[in-house]
Amino acid sequence: MDGIELMAQAMHAARARLDVSAANLANASSGGFRRQVAHVRLGPAGLTVAATEDAKPGPLERTGRAFDLAVAGAGAFFVRDGGGRAVPERSASFVLGAGGYLRDELGRVLLGSHGPLRAEAAATFDARGVERAGSGKAVDRVRVAAGTSLQSGFLERANVDAVREMVDVLAAQRAFESAQKALSAIDDTRAKAVNDLAKVSA
Amino acid sequence: MNRALYAAATGMAAQQQQLDTVADNLANADVAGFKRATATFASLGEGLGTAPAGVLRSFEQGKLEKSGGPCDLAIDGPGFFQVERDGASAYTRAGAFSRGADGFLRNAEGWRLSGVRIPADAVGLEVLRDGRFTARLPGGVQRAVGRIALAQFDAPERLQPLGSALFAATPAAGKPRVVAPGGARGPALAFGMLERANVSIYESMIAILTAQRAYEANAKAVQASDEMLRIANNLHRG
Repeated sequence: MDGIELMAQAMHAARARLDVSAANLANASSGGFRRQVAHVRLGPAGLTVAATEDAKPGPLERTGRAFDLAVAGAGAFFVRDGGGRAVPERSASFVLGAGGYLRDELGRVLLGSHGPLRAEAAATFDARGVERAGSGKAVDRVRVAAGTSLQSGFLERANVDAVREMVDVLAAQRAFESAQKALSAIDDTRAKAVNDLAKVSA
Repeated sequence: MNRALYAAATGMAAQQQQLDTVADNLANADVAGFKRATATFASLGEGLGTAPAGVLRSFEQGKLEKSGGPCDLAIDGPGFFQVERDGASAYTRAGAFSRGADGFLRNAEGWRLSGVRIPADAVGLEVLRDGRFTARLPGGVQRAVGRIALAQFDAPERLQPLGSALFAATPAAGKPRVVAPGGARGPALAFGMLERANVSIYESMIAILTAQRAYEANAKAVQASDEMLRIANNLHRG
């Protein structure tokens, strides 16, 4: 591959890395956001950049709202989306709505052991997902994956570490500069070959 | 590079809103019955940044504190005082009432507590945890002057704020349910007490520091992409 073409690809790759880090930083306060990790690889087609999700859970933050549910460690609870599908979720803020159903910000309904879960304003949830009415009587159980530990009154924050992202931003910026310097050096060499060599032979 | 620029700009806007929300909580940290708000954000999708998802209010119980007012009330448990002004109803947990010349209890903004009227010759007032008001009249006579009920909502987060600690009902919050205080598990009234705002100064300070640093980090990402654009523009040296 042509050196100038390779350095141009390196500049593109550095730019793509910056895009990924900037989006991660922008989402530092988005609830439950998972950071993307950029991977740069050299293959037959040159440099390619792919982003994958970092599945490490973010920290749990106390909110004090009984219907904020988050999963500690591995596991998930389930909500029903507009299409009627059961979707696994790890952190959501529910509000009691019409019919006694708990809905998250996207309007999805929290699922219990027999379809949508019904609750009253004083309902509470324990770590196993058991729903208790204000009287303390167990009335239903949140549908959870096996081994899930549910935390009521907590939400999962983004798993973005601002320091690490800043390091990535700087690294991408320096990689961009290095590629540009190399590109200019190759360009200078060629300029010499074209202009100065021609002078000698004249 | 524009992608990084725009994503970082949404991040700066989000941290700005976060700071505004925390600053508002702090400004109201000494307002009785105030409930803290939290701004929430959601990702716009891969590489596009973030957008505000809404503001949720926490109706977590605030600490009850002894106060000096002769007609101060606090609610221990969920629920609101129902107050009226000019035929409109509103709901509040701020119980700093004072007795008007007409015998009604009103808060500082002139909202009247529904359900009781104090006789003009009363020299003292007693309120029980179940909401019953007793006036002390001259000569040691005690007279029952009414009982207040509290209002509860299915989704108090969806109430519309009318001021620091005053809310209006909305369809999304559900119909107000009338609850008699003083039951075995329900809310109870505390006379001579006020409910402090449920704002933690320490948590708020940490939230401010975090938002400030995140804002700076996003600003650095803007600078980095600007610098890359500059370098790219200088590639062509004529």
